[in-house]
Amino acid sequence: MPTSVRRFVAGAAGLSAVALLAGCAKNAPQDTWQPKGPNAQKIDDLQKPVFAIAGIVGLIVFAAVAYAVFRFKDRGQPIPEQTHGKPVLEIGMTILPALLLAGIGVFTFRTIFDLAKTDDTEMVINVTGQQWWWEYDYPVQTDYGITNPIITSGQLVIPTGTKVLLRETSRDVIHSYWIPALNGKRDAVPGRVHYLRLEADKPGIYAGQCTEFCGLSHAVMRMEAVALDKADFAAWVKGQLELADSPAEGTLAKEGESVFLNQCVRCHQVNGLKKADGSPAIAAPEENVWSGAAPNLTHLMTRNTFAGASWDLLTKECRKDVWEAPGGEFGKKYLAGVTEECLNQTDLRRWLRNAPAMKPMYADPTKLGPTDGKYRGMPNLGLSEDDIDKLVAYLATLK
Amino acid sequence: MAIIEQPAPVGAPALPAAPTPTRTYGALRRPVATTGWKSWVFTVDHKKLGIMYGVVAMFFFIVGGIEALLIRLQLAAPNGKVLSADVYNQMFTMHATTMVFLFVMPMAAAFANYFIPLQIGARDVAFPRINAFGFWTLVGGGIIVNLSWFLGGAADGGWFMYAPNSGPVFSPSHGVDFWALGLQITGIASLTGAINLIVTVLNMRAPGMSLMKMPVFTWLQLVVQFLLLFAIPVITVALFLLSFQRNFGATFFDVSAGADPLLWQHLFWIFGHPEVYVLILPSFGIISEVLPVFSKKPLFGYPFVVFSGAAIGFVGWGVWAHHMFASGLGPVSVAVFSIATMAIAIPTGVKIVNWTMTLWGGKLRFTAAMHFAVGLIVLFTIGGLSGVTHSVAPSDTQQTDTYYIVAHFHYVLFGGAIFGLFAGFYYWWPKMFGKQLNERLGKANFWFMVIGMNLTFGPMHMIGLQGQPRRMYVWTEARAGEGFFNIAFWNMVASIGAFILAFGVLLFLINVFKTTRSKEVAPLDPWDARTLEWMTTSPPKEHNFDAIPTVHHLDEFFHRKYEQDPNTHEMKQVATAEDILREQEANADKHIHMPSPSYWPIVLAGGLPVIALGIIYSIPVAIVGAAIVVLALFGWSLEPSTAPDSDFDPPASGDGTKELAPLG
Repeated sequence: MPTSVRRFVAGAAGLSAVALLAGCAKNAPQDTWQPKGPNAQKIDDLQKPVFAIAGIVGLIVFAAVAYAVFRFKDRGQPIPEQTHGKPVLEIGMTILPALLLAGIGVFTFRTIFDLAKTDDTEMVINVTGQQWWWEYDYPVQTDYGITNPIITSGQLVIPTGTKVLLRETSRDVIHSYWIPALNGKRDAVPGRVHYLRLEADKPGIYAGQCTEFCGLSHAVMRMEAVALDKADFAAWVKGQLELADSPAEGTLAKEGESVFLNQCVRCHQVNGLKKADGSPAIAAPEENVWSGAAPNLTHLMTRNTFAGASWDLLTKECRKDVWEAPGGEFGKKYLAGVTEECLNQTDLRRWLRNAPAMKPMYADPTKLGPTDGKYRGMPNLGLSEDDIDKLVAYLATLK
Repeated sequence: MAIIEQPAPVGAPALPAAPTPTRTYGALRRPVATTGWKSWVFTVDHKKLGIMYGVVAMFFFIVGGIEALLIRLQLAAPNGKVLSADVYNQMFTMHATTMVFLFVMPMAAAFANYFIPLQIGARDVAFPRINAFGFWTLVGGGIIVNLSWFLGGAADGGWFMYAPNSGPVFSPSHGVDFWALGLQITGIASLTGAINLIVTVLNMRAPGMSLMKMPVFTWLQLVVQFLLLFAIPVITVALFLLSFQRNFGATFFDVSAGADPLLWQHLFWIFGHPEVYVLILPSFGIISEVLPVFSKKPLFGYPFVVFSGAAIGFVGWGVWAHHMFASGLGPVSVAVFSIATMAIAIPTGVKIVNWTMTLWGGKLRFTAAMHFAVGLIVLFTIGGLSGVTHSVAPSDTQQTDTYYIVAHFHYVLFGGAIFGLFAGFYYWWPKMFGKQLNERLGKANFWFMVIGMNLTFGPMHMIGLQGQPRRMYVWTEARAGEGFFNIAFWNMVASIGAFILAFGVLLFLINVFKTTRSKEVAPLDPWDARTLEWMTTSPPKEHNFDAIPTVHHLDEFFHRKYEQDPNTHEMKQVATAEDILREQEANADKHIHMPSPSYWPIVLAGGLPVIALGIIYSIPVAIVGAAIVVLALFGWSLEPSTAPDSDFDPPASGDGTKELAPLG
């Protein structure tokens, strides 16, 4: 038994050391202890002392238990007096933690209300969750050059040093939006709108993940927040407002456009895409997908990831080049988008070949009774390799 | 078995076999078997039912454990291929459901059933047939919940089963139906059990045992029964709403019909948080018995432990929304629940202080039971302190739904609740079976479990703080990080730890097997214990005590064995357990009337799963089930709970009756 206690004490000390170390190592992208914006910083300023206090209290308890276990082991001592306690000690040990917690409570209170403020908002983005991806809808905000709504998905692009307010909701089940480096999480609940403050100090990509269990592919519902400095953000907005150009006649991409018009446009909107007769092609995801939405692909190649930010559109080398670029260069590299030589064809083709094999979705046509035949997620379209070649060529033009 | 007997001292010539009723009462002839399977299936004896609760709970512990191992196999490496997304989601849902509802709760009920009457000096519980009914209802519910594995897939919405993901559109298999109806049935077991034990504790204590002389285990179980009494109806309502939504087209959680999904969350957690204390308080009770016995000291600050337990029982109702800090409740609610959650740490902390102070100045013997009890203090402290870190709501918005939470509640529920139950196994085994579990194997059992549990759940603190969410059927190397905190490394460690832990549990099963086969009989009072359950034979006779003891002290049994020398103030042994038992046998009560076994509890309980299956598959079947229930209720009401004397041959020969336990 004594060794057990020694081990626990060592373990606890180790854990505290670990807690202190967390600041320096190159940690996971969703590390909760590396705030990169004022909201997450507020949480961090609160949680670090609490962890420290908890660690100290733990060490005191372990030390007391360890001491008692060593000191009072049965070595043939007489049966101790049958005392029933010391009320003074008891009351003291009730009041002491109460005071400690009251102290923590005051700071907690302040932080809760600070993080709930919405009256200092500088920019609003509507965020909608559905199985298993996020849609971002930028309402018109002329201060930022957003003269028309922008609809995008997967990667949330925000300007640095700007108090962004996310207005979250969901089209099906409950999801939760979480970019650990920028703030804690907030659930996106159907029928309700919840607010989440987000602000990034520096340009960069901040990883996040849906954290409310949302069904089959919950594990592969990811997202990223991309912070660009104000000039780069303006450039990004300008790009997003443009319509897609039709590829030149006679190219493979042009053939891909007609495959897209036959298949993909049933759910996926590409702004500016025209049917053969010249009328605008309007996607109708509400007829095919239970949530009623599918990612808008107009500027697919300006994003680095696809399918719920779960696979890279960039090849490994290019991804490294962009994601690990120093703050000053990051914006330019990100804005360059996915160039042809950087396109991760392997995963994109795999996806087009059979999406539900990569990311489990309710896509088996025989089992869609409860949803009146509508899919949850993307079905296997049964495309030929030829069609896939053409589609990839077309998608690569969506910049 | 209903008996009228003159208790005989151990070793005295055996009395004639228990008399057999010759007449039929009620619709069915009473069961009369005193041996064989019938003596178990139709029993109303709280001790037999306690053992059966234990066996069923242990079976589900193994089931839930295998589910846990499959989960850890899947997560040992990135992009695991052991389970599909669909099966994984069923697996973690059922792991939690099984461990909470079918292992920890029934195992705590096993100890409550077996030991509450013994600890308060009663001969059985207040309503023995309802006790049997509760057990068989639990079995029925457990079968229904798990049947789904074989009938198209188990529930896949997580044990918290948030709406609208639990609705028919998002969970189209029958899994959630089985889950909701199965838990509805086990809820009946908990509710009837709670009422039964509350009445038992409040009405049937031995003469002289005031509430403040009651053993702490019984006290904390009493708090648990009150928690169940008020919490189970809440989950019952929630489960009814869910079942009606899924099976009869109701729209309680249908957003398009104007519902608010947060309704489910509130209902679930108003039940779910008190439920946490339902799981942990029985184990607190167990170690509050074990620590004093092996420290040779009374529990330090008995009234503080009792009242802090009751305080937890009250404050536990005001903290449910701390499971919802990220749900979007608004800052006022979040702040209130944040503070309330911090407040509940205070009575919990009081217990830790009291246990530590019980050790202080004692004469500590490190038996296997004591190992688990001290292990609980340390492990639960870790879980409690990580709990304080997420009572701080803003901090919780970073931690909730990550592995940090998984680490937290496994330290609380494995390191706390389950270690307490294991302490109970080793401590009470000689009482229940007259044989002692092997101590060496028991200590090996402890060490494998404690090392395995720390390797499994310790790294999860780190994995969670590094941002790995829960309930993910795969994790990706792209988000694993590098260096010391590398998620991949620690996931592998956690998986290895899970198998070490499982080996520890296997050692326990081997220990049970070996002990069962061994012929060695345990001493009457192997631990020099302090409370009434040790004042009778091991295992206790059917009527528990030959003479109901009169209680003068907290720790009555200890004070009958030891007295303080008025001059030297030293404790001196004045009697042995054998002396005390002999004295009791010499003054045995003359006419002890025990409740009779009955067919009705199992028949009535058997109707409920039939109703559940009928609701899922075909309403006429449900009507058959309902008919069974109604008829069984009639049969039950017409049958006297205790067969009258005239029902027996030969009739009672005792002089005058001495009905001590008001049995009904």
